[in-house]
Amino acid sequence: MRFTPTELTGPELDLQAEVREFLASELPPGTHEPCLGMAADHDREFSAKMAARGWVGMALPSRWGGSDRTAVQRFIVVEEMLRWGAPVGHHWVADRQTGNVILKFGTDEQRERFLPPICRGELGFSIGMSEPDSGSDLASVSTRAERADDGWVVNGTKIWTSNAHMNDWFICLLRTAPMEDGNKHAGLSQFLIDLRSPGLEISPIPFLDGSHHFNEVTFHDVFVPDINVVGQPGMGWHQNTTEMAYERGGPDRWLSPFSTVEQLLREAAGTPMEDAVSDLFGELAARWWGIRNLSLSVARLIDEGEAPSVESALVKEMGTRYEQEVVEKLVQLIDEEYSPESESLFERLLAQCVVTFPGNTIRGGTIEILRSVASKGLQGLPA
Amino acid sequence: MTVRTAPEPVVVDELITETADRLFGELCTHEAVQAAEDSGEAPDIWDAFCETGFDLIAVPEDAGGSGGTLAEAIEVLRLVGYHSAPIPAAENGILGGWLLAEAGLERPDGLVTVIPPRATEGGWSGGGACSVSLDGDGTAVLNGEAHRVPWARSAEAIVCVCECDGRTTVVSVPTSECTITPLPNMAGEPRDSVSFDGATGRAAPTPDGVDAGALAQRGALSRVALMAGAIEKMCQLTVSYTNERVQFGRPVARFQAVQQHLVWAAQDAALVRMAAEVAAREATRGDAPFEIAAAKLVANQAAARATKACHQAHGAMGMTQEYPLHHFSRRLWSWRKEYGSDAHWSAVLGEMATGVGADGLYPLITSGTAALG
Repeated sequence: MRFTPTELTGPELDLQAEVREFLASELPPGTHEPCLGMAADHDREFSAKMAARGWVGMALPSRWGGSDRTAVQRFIVVEEMLRWGAPVGHHWVADRQTGNVILKFGTDEQRERFLPPICRGELGFSIGMSEPDSGSDLASVSTRAERADDGWVVNGTKIWTSNAHMNDWFICLLRTAPMEDGNKHAGLSQFLIDLRSPGLEISPIPFLDGSHHFNEVTFHDVFVPDINVVGQPGMGWHQNTTEMAYERGGPDRWLSPFSTVEQLLREAAGTPMEDAVSDLFGELAARWWGIRNLSLSVARLIDEGEAPSVESALVKEMGTRYEQEVVEKLVQLIDEEYSPESESLFERLLAQCVVTFPGNTIRGGTIEILRSVASKGLQGLPA
Repeated sequence: MTVRTAPEPVVVDELITETADRLFGELCTHEAVQAAEDSGEAPDIWDAFCETGFDLIAVPEDAGGSGGTLAEAIEVLRLVGYHSAPIPAAENGILGGWLLAEAGLERPDGLVTVIPPRATEGGWSGGGACSVSLDGDGTAVLNGEAHRVPWARSAEAIVCVCECDGRTTVVSVPTSECTITPLPNMAGEPRDSVSFDGATGRAAPTPDGVDAGALAQRGALSRVALMAGAIEKMCQLTVSYTNERVQFGRPVARFQAVQQHLVWAAQDAALVRMAAEVAAREATRGDAPFEIAAAKLVANQAAARATKACHQAHGAMGMTQEYPLHHFSRRLWSWRKEYGSDAHWSAVLGEMATGVGADGLYPLITSGTAALG
């Protein structure tokens, strides 16, 4: 394990400036309610504007509608979007992982069909991993796809499916052969499923604050054509593990409370600040500086052809815990109760952080699972 | 079209890493480090270190140094920390050696140490608790005392930076002029008290930018480098130990509760090494007040977490003198309090962060000192 320090090149600094100018003109401070990281609003129009700049699916090849850009360039765009609280929800999953999976494991026909609209910011994807009886033990999934003429018939239930009610497509890990003794990773396959397929039922699972992100997705004899199988049937576990690596270690794992902190500083301007508050801004800036340098070095390693899975797991485990620590420190600063309906934007955001951030150390792999992945790597064992 | 340009890269010669790692790996055995703690000195290790020229790395050759960059000196210090080498490498080189070179004062033959500046309300104050008076020909007369002076007992000269007659001045006093009371820090490293009773030394004014605050920044950077090495080694010891120690029929590293300690310590090792290397890179290019302050604060906090995690994972074995964990954990507990506490650097960083305001906060995180304008 080695995180090598890196810094932005001239063209990368230009891109950073361009993204900052874009955001300052599209979403001037005070004109929009910042989102809290990747759990961002879905705004197809905003996604299309970003795509017009070449900032969606940007690391995909131009042959498939991408911009041939690097992991570091995507890092720059993503970190600026997240720190601004921009509404990147619609294209988020496709941009971060699904596009990569289709590029890596899909057929040319699938690449032609999915990658250009992903890069135009048109397609929103949900992820179908968890089930009622399969969470951290993901290989135990039991939703089945059974062979039929020219395709597969799917039955079962996926759960905690973010934004299935708004998205277009569903990338699912399904069981295509019975679980074998001793090798539960065999017999799994990845499918691309149209969320409007006949027999596919989407029901909301209200979030603890009543908002609607989660869904339960039930399959009643849903037909999926052969052309929607990703990669080799039976290789789903390997493909899914590769996909998870794209999820980890990026700015979405440590920047979620940034817009809240920035808003506190904005609202505090012009009044005398207590030392404890000023010191906290200093402390937070220092930690973010350190974590950002680690996360940036992971992106650079990817561009150098490495597969920094241990490094990514370490950054995600640390970053998501840090997000919660930031919120706790902010809460301790406030003397009175704050409300999700407060007139202060800072207090509204803070209330939302408090209520939703327990999920940050759960989504995309709990920190307990990440510790297991990372510590095996530290000990030189296979993950 | 490219408008912006990245600064020139700062490269550390791999030979420096290899040479220092090999040297300390051979000399700084568990027994040798323990012996240095018991006797308060390690002249053999110091002499071998001087033979490599690393004792004066980053001190300009025309001032009697070995040349090289600050980043290279910081890499050597990282390895001093990694091997718990019981030598005053920072004091002799990038702190004391730097002050002498900047002021144009002659280096004595032998080891040089510095009086650490103290954080005060209005900034840093050098010179310890002593008064310095100058006469016209560059002679300084010192009265008073200084505390926590590293390796004063082994040094030929003690260097400090202080305000004299309205000018920032570097003073170098031979230890033969002083009374030294040997005292240890928590790791048993020398942090001596020195009293001056009409002690005479040489004095010279400093160029702009060389003062107690600048010394404190270099001192803080030196501690971050030492801490980065120590945390990394402590972490490696912990991974090895938990893989060898068997309980309930399997290595304890297989237990999730223990894995948590391994992962948290590894994160802090990575975080502090990154902080040290980025801060060293920026300090090699020029002023780096944000990076150094951020690095020291991050290192102080990481030291607290990582020592706790590594000790817990070691169980009772880590609490013994016979097992080497304490060489690293005790040094970390001491170094985290030197050259600026958490409270000090948080306040400094807080002024920077609130100074740039809401719109400047993220640019400060991405661009550091360059964003301060």
